[in-house]
Parts: sequence; structure tokens; C-alpha cells
Amino acid sequence: MAQDERMKQTLVSDPHLNPLLDGEAEAQRPVRVASRIVWRIVDVIVGGVFIYAGVIKALDSNRFAVDIDNYKILPWFIGVRLAFYLPWLEILCGLALIARKLYLGGLSILSALVAIFIIASIVAKVRGIDITCGCFGHASKYLSFGGHLALDFVLLSFVLLLLRSAHTQSDTLRSIDV
Amino acid sequence: MKTRILTFILSILWCAMARAELKWEQTTLELHPAIEDKDAVGHFKYQNTGDKPVRFKSVRTSCGCTVAQTQKDEVPAGEKGEITATFHIGERTGTQIKTVNVETDNPGQAVTVLTLKAVIPQLLEIKPTFVYWQADDAPQAKTISVTAAKDSPVTQIKVTSSNPEFQTKVEKVRKGEFKIDIQPKQTSKPMSATLTIQPENSPKMFNATASVMAVAAAKPMWTPPLMRQAVAPPPGTSPTPASPQP
Amino acid sequence: MARQALLLIALAFVPAIGEAIYFRDRVSWQTPVPASELVTVDLARGWGTNAIWVDARTDEEFQRDHIPGATLLNEDRWNELLPQFLAQWSPDKKVVVYCSTESCNLALEVARRLRNEAQLKDVFVLQGGWEEWLKTKE
Repeated sequence: MAQDERMKQTLVSDPHLNPLLDGEAEAQRPVRVASRIVWRIVDVIVGGVFIYAGVIKALDSNRFAVDIDNYKILPWFIGVRLAFYLPWLEILCGLALIARKLYLGGLSILSALVAIFIIASIVAKVRGIDITCGCFGHASKYLSFGGHLALDFVLLSFVLLLLRSAHTQSDTLRSIDV
Repeated sequence: MKTRILTFILSILWCAMARAELKWEQTTLELHPAIEDKDAVGHFKYQNTGDKPVRFKSVRTSCGCTVAQTQKDEVPAGEKGEITATFHIGERTGTQIKTVNVETDNPGQAVTVLTLKAVIPQLLEIKPTFVYWQADDAPQAKTISVTAAKDSPVTQIKVTSSNPEFQTKVEKVRKGEFKIDIQPKQTSKPMSATLTIQPENSPKMFNATASVMAVAAAKPMWTPPLMRQAVAPPPGTSPTPASPQP
Repeated sequence: MARQALLLIALAFVPAIGEAIYFRDRVSWQTPVPASELVTVDLARGWGTNAIWVDARTDEEFQRDHIPGATLLNEDRWNELLPQFLAQWSPDKKVVVYCSTESCNLALEVARRLRNEAQLKDVFVLQGGWEEWLKTKE
């Protein structure tokens, strides 16, 4: 174990073995730092959006239950319970993004939630059901169906980008971590 | 011969052109019965401005509280008449709208809808008319507001409770406005009272009800949300709280 | 990643259950509450013993036939009948008022007075009225 640690230290600190420490990589450091900052900003914005969406729904769970029921996919007794649960899941995942704790888990849950919302909206539209989105509670009721879908796709794109970026970073670290 | 045929044809044409028409003075009447009135009566006047008589096939009211009567079943050409609609006020409040459907044999005017709008004056407006406490609630006083009609001479009201377990206190807020504070002595057992509210110098009486509810239905034992459908639905699960008291 | 996701899913239950317990009396857990004051026969029947049926028709019509267990409350004898109705009412009940047909507004008037004067919540009018009940009874 101790030997592994020493080897790891050597790999990380030896500029010949750690490509990140050679001279050329040194020149790219400001770019990497700027990139990290940008991704952090995106983390905070996306996390903030989901926290906001979750808070709006948590403040009026009854109304959210009606919105879920309007999709006519789930029976009322399941939908009303989800109406209490989902907003808090969103809030916690948003916080996970901002605090960078349980980060990957939060991103994966959020991507699943948004994907499910998109599918449910399309199914409802195909069935001719006139729905309010429920994404931002009744605050988004004035969005057209197209606007609602566009917003969902934008959110999903950002979440998937963050997920991909996080995977890339952890792959890089894992490749050093022997 | 030709003259007779011509006369015959002209008379047929004349009959075809002859028309019947009931012209109504008003098809909507607004009534303002006095406080002590038991009925509100509207007179829908008409005249047959056509050349043919008009026969009433039916006269139907929108509810049993209104009765409509025609003076005659058939109205000769040029004649006037009226349909009298009597609306029995009973214990109704506010603006009441009742309709009378008049069906005639005139194809151009088969059904006419007459509307009677009665604005029922209330000597006293009482809000709410029902106050309650649930079992073991704190027996705090609750308030009923009483507002006298604008032009009424009510300067004082008297309140009597049918059950001495409910205490009442009357306070004059301003001219024509009063508040009644009701308080039960205890809320550990169900009981109720009828509060009789009588304006000074008026024989008319108004009621309100105060109740202490029976023991509230037992709250179900908590089960995890997703498991709840596996449990028999508990009795008396309430959707929204009734909170009538400000 | 899966472990993190499971942890978040589990953690979210805590505030959700707390909120559900806090608002447990203000939510209809089994059936949806209709958005408007009109309620169908099926939905009202689904409320079972939580529903109080109120007949807004005349005394004669009520005597002839009425929904089993219904209470008579009409405006002809409002002051006399209201206390009898209130004696049966409790805050967890849903009131379903009916009259002869949907076009007859007796039920609407009675429902309005129960909401405005007695300030009761959860007062509904039966869509289709007495006739609709008879149809579904068959």
C-alpha cells in the first residue's frame, strides 16, 4: 500500500511521467484554469435552475400533483406522492451540482428526470392532452409546447455536457491513479 | 267566374300573408321586493300586433318557486294581455334569476324566454352563519359579523343562544355593523346551539349555528408514501382544512 | 455514480416525507379534488362515506324519491333545514348538492350559500343532477 502511494506520488510529480507537468502543458495551464472556472459557472447556473424549479414545485405540491395528473400517465395516488418527492430530489441534485458533492449521481438523476419530462410531454401532446409543463410549476404555464420542449432540451444538453465533462476529468485522473 | 277565381286566389294569398306576432313590452323585469314581502310579482305585458290570433301552448317556469299565469289561452289579433310571474321568496337571499318559457303556436316565435330578476333585500347580513370548533380545540371565541341593510333603521341587535354552554357577546362596531363573539365553555364533548339574532324593533329573526364537533376521525398510522396503496384507505382523510374563521 | 445517485434518492425522501406529514390534512391522497365546483356521479360516489349528499329540490320531489342518505336542504325552508344539515357535516366531508337537472340552478344556489354564508369548503354540485344519478343507478 505504502509502495503504491510512493509510486503514485512519483507518477504525479515527475514531469517526465506526468504529461500535465511538462513544459508544454504548463503553458496550457491558464486555459485549463479558465475552462474549469467556466464549467463551475455552468454547474452553478444549471444547479440553480433546478433548485429554483424544485422550490417552486415544493411550495405548491397540490398544484404540482394536478399538473402530474394532467399527463394522464400515472394514477392519482402515485402522482400525488411523486408531487411531494420529486421537487426535493431536484433541489438536492441542484445542490449537489453547486457543492460538487455526490456530483455524478446528481447529474445522472437530473438527466434522467429531464429526459422523462420530455418523453412524457411528447406522449401527452400526441394523445392530444393540453398540459401545463409542470417544470417550473405554474410559473411556466404561458410557455407554448414548443417553448417548453426547447427549454427542456437546453437543460438536458447542459446536464449531459456537464456529465461528459465530469467523466472526462475522472478518466484523466484515473489514468494517472495507478 | 273569373272574378270568383281571382277572389279565391287573393283570399288564399291574404291568409298566407297574415301573420301573428306577440310583441312584449319587456322580456326582462328587475324587481326589488320590500324586506317584509313574501312574494315578488312581475307582469310581462304583451300585445298581438299581428293579424292572426296567438295561442299559448305552454308556460313553464325554471323552478317550482315561481308560478306563471296567463290571463287567456288565446290572444286575438290586436289584443293586449299579460303573463303574471309570481316568485315565492321563501328564505332566499341575494339576487335571484328565474325564467318563464312561453311556447306559442306561432312558428316565427315558438318560444319566448321571460326573465325575472329579483333583488332580495336582507335586513341583516350575517357572516358566517356557522362557526365550529373541533373536539379538543382551544375554546376560543369566534366572531360572526352582522351588517344591517343600508337604509334600515337597525341600531341594535339581540342575540340568544339555545344552549347555555355557548356564551355570546354583542358589540356594535359602527352604525349598522355589529359583531357577535361566541365562545363554548368546553370542547371536550360535541354540542351545538342555534343563535337567534333579532334586530331591535323588528319581529324578523335570523339564525346562526355554533357547534363543537364530535371527536375528529382518527388520523391513519403513517405509512411510507409509495406503500400507501397497499393499506386500506383510512376513514375521514381530509383534503383541505375548513377554516371558516378569520 | 450509482451509489451517489442512490444516496441522493434516499436523502430526498427525508424532506419529502416531512412536507407530506405537515400537509397531510390538506391533500387528497386517494382521489383528485375537481378543479371546478362540478363533480361527476362516479367521482362523487368514489368519495364513499366522505361525501354528504344534499338534495336542493322541493319537499315534494324529495319525498317522492331521492339519493339514499341524502339530506334535504332547499331555500324554501333554509333556516329550518340548515341546522339539520350542519349536524351531519364535519370538516373532512365533501358536500355534493344536486337538483333536478343541470339546467336547474337550485343546486348552484344552495352550494353558493353553503360556501358564502356558512363558509364551508369542499362544496360541489352534481353534474347532470338527479337524472344523471338515475342513469348511473341503472
